[in-house]
Amino acid sequence: MVLGLLGMDSHENGAIAVASLLRDAGVEVIYLGRYQTPDTLLRAAVQEDVDVIGVSCHSWEYLEYLPALMERIPAEAPDVAVVAGGSVITPADAARLTALGVAAVFGSGAAPEHMVATVRRLAAARREALELPPAAPPGPPAPTPT
Amino acid sequence: MSENRTRSGVPLKTFYEATDLPRPGAPQSPPGEYPFTRGRLGSGQKAAAWIQRELSGEGDPAHSNAQLHYLIAKGQTGIDVIGDSPTQAQMDPDHPLAVHAVGTQGVSLCCKADYLELFHGLPLDGISISSSVPSLFGMTGLYLAAQAAGVAPERVRGSVLQVPLYSEDCGYPTYLPCELRARLSADVMEFCAAAMPRFHSYVEDTYFFSESGLTAVEEMALGFVEIRFLARELLRRGVPIDRFAPRIAILVNCSMDFYEEVAKLRATRRLYARMMKEEFGAQDARSLSVNLTSHTSGLTLTAEQPANNIVRGAIQALALAMGGAQAIEISAFDEAYRTPSPESHLVGLRTQQILELESGVSRVADPFGGSYFMEALTSELERRIEAMVREIEAEGDPVHLADSGWFKGFFHRAMERHAREIREGAARVVGHNVHQIPEEEDLLLRDVSERKIRPWSERVERIRSFKAGRGRERLHSALSGVLEAARARTGNLVPPVLAAVEADATMGEITGTLRTAYGFPYDPHRMVQPPTMEGAP
Repeated sequence: MVLGLLGMDSHENGAIAVASLLRDAGVEVIYLGRYQTPDTLLRAAVQEDVDVIGVSCHSWEYLEYLPALMERIPAEAPDVAVVAGGSVITPADAARLTALGVAAVFGSGAAPEHMVATVRRLAAARREALELPPAAPPGPPAPTPT
Repeated sequence: MSENRTRSGVPLKTFYEATDLPRPGAPQSPPGEYPFTRGRLGSGQKAAAWIQRELSGEGDPAHSNAQLHYLIAKGQTGIDVIGDSPTQAQMDPDHPLAVHAVGTQGVSLCCKADYLELFHGLPLDGISISSSVPSLFGMTGLYLAAQAAGVAPERVRGSVLQVPLYSEDCGYPTYLPCELRARLSADVMEFCAAAMPRFHSYVEDTYFFSESGLTAVEEMALGFVEIRFLARELLRRGVPIDRFAPRIAILVNCSMDFYEEVAKLRATRRLYARMMKEEFGAQDARSLSVNLTSHTSGLTLTAEQPANNIVRGAIQALALAMGGAQAIEISAFDEAYRTPSPESHLVGLRTQQILELESGVSRVADPFGGSYFMEALTSELERRIEAMVREIEAEGDPVHLADSGWFKGFFHRAMERHAREIREGAARVVGHNVHQIPEEEDLLLRDVSERKIRPWSERVERIRSFKAGRGRERLHSALSGVLEAARARTGNLVPPVLAAVEADATMGEITGTLRTAYGFPYDPHRMVQPPTMEGAP
C-alpha cells in the first residue's frame, strides 16, 4: 500500500505509527509522507501497483481532498481500495466517507489488529480479483477481523 | 510509564529519606538566587504568578483580532498566536497547496497589513505578545505593528520561537537549509538585542519537537544543544553574552508524569544557570535565570472521552505552577480532533484561574524544595540531561546533523516508540487503551467535534487582489535587497527583510527569495513563481 498525508497536514505521528504497525505485520508500505494531493497519491498508487491507498487525516483538508480523490478512482485506479484514518474524522464524517466509497475508516481508537486485518483483506480481495499472487509472504496467520 | 520508573526511565524507590538528598545537610539557595533551582524570582516578588494565556488564532487576521480581544476580556494576561499550516510553512494563502488549509488551524498571516490588523487595538506596550508564527516574520510584523500604533519597539514585550535545528523535522517544513535557518535565528537575536531589548527574541521551543514522543530528558537535552549552538554563534559574531542571554527563554512541554515534570523545570533552571556561568561566562543574573514558559502536552490528549482531557490539562498545569513556570498555556480539550473551539479555550483559561485564585498553589514558590524525593529526582534529571547533551554534541556539528537527517531519525524513533508503548499497553492512557467505553456512550462534549472551520477562501481572494495592486518597482527593489544581502552570506538579514515587509512583500515571496539566494528552488513544490518572474514563460 501507499500511505500519505494530504495538503498541508503535517501531523505525522499517526501515519508513522500506522506504517510501522503494518510493516511489523508484514504489509509492504510505501510511506509517501506529507504534502500529497489526490494527484500524487494516484500516480504513486498506479506506478507502484499497490492494492491500497492509505490517507492519514489530522487536518480538515481531507474534507476537500478525499471527495476529489474518490471521484478519480473509478477512471484511474478502479481496483484500488482507499482507507482513511485519524482522530479528526468524526462519526458523521466517517459515514460520509463510506458513502463516497472509502473502503474503511479508522478512528483514533481503532484496534491495531483490526487495521492490519482490514488492509490485508482489501489487498487480498484486489489480488484475487486481478488473479495476482498473494501480496504478503507466507507468515503467521492474519489476526481474525473484529 | 512502568510502575517503578519515570517516563524518562529514572528508577524510583517506594519512598525517600534524608540519605537520598544529593548533598545531605548542604544549604540550598533560595528562589531568585544562583543556581535558580528553586525559581527565577526572589522575595519581594509574587511567589509563583504566571502569565495565563491560550494559544489562539483562526481564520483571517481580523477574525483572530476579535478572538484575542475576547480572550483578554475573559482574563487572559498574555497573547500567543499561532499561524495556520501555510503560515507555519512560510507559504502565502494563495499557494495552490495551501488553499484548503487557510485559516483552519491558526490565523493566516503573510504581510504587513495582516499584522496591523491582527494586533489592532491591543495594548502593545502593556501585554506580552508571544508569537508561534515563524520567528523572522512574527518579530518584524510585531515591530511594524507597534510602530504603526505609535508604540516604540523598544517597549514591546513578548517573544518568538527559534528552532533552526529541528523545525524541518517536526513542524511545518520551510525548505530553507539549516545553515540559513541558523543564520536567521542569530540575526533576529542580534537585531533585537539592540532594537527590542524587552522582547524575548529567542524562545527555545522544546514543546513542539518533544511532541514526537520524547522523554523529559530527551526534550531538554535537544533544547540545550540548540541553545548552546546559537549562543556560540552569537558570541562568534561578537555579541556579548550578557547582551542576549537575558532574552532567552524556553517553552517547555508538560506531559503526564507529574513529579518528573516538576523536577524537569527545576533541573533545567539549574543546568542553564551553571552552563551560562561556567561555560559562557555570563554574569548578569538575568542571563543566568532562564525564563520557563510552557504548554501542556497535546500528545497526551485523547479523542476518546474528551472531557478527560480537561483533567489532564489541570494536572499538567498544576505541575507547571509548582515547578515555577512563568507562563502557562493549556492544550485545549478538543485538540485531539479539532482546532480549539471557543469553549475549550475558555475552559483552559478558567482552569488556570482556578489554580491561581482558588487552589492557593501560587502563594508559595517551589513548594517541593527540600523534599528528599524531589531534590533527588531533580539532580538525577540534571545529570541525565547534561550527559545526553554531551553525547549529542559528540556526534558532530549540529547543522550537519540536521541536514543529514540525524535528528529526524531521533524523532521518528521516538514517534514509533511512543506508539508502541501505547499499543502494547506499557503506557496506559485512560479511555484509549484502558477503561474504554463504546462509541455510542462516548457523547460528553462530542458535539463540538462536529463543528468545523471551513477554509477561508475569501482570504485567498483578498491576498490575490492585494498582490496584484502593489507598486511593483518598490516591491522588486526590496526583494532584490533581500536577495543580495542573503547571497552575501554575512551581515544581518533583518533590516532588508524588514524593508521588504514594509514594501508589502509577502512572507512567501521573501522566503522564496531567501531560498533562491542559497541555491534552492523559489518554491519547493514548484507551483508558484517569484513576482519578478510573473508573466515569464
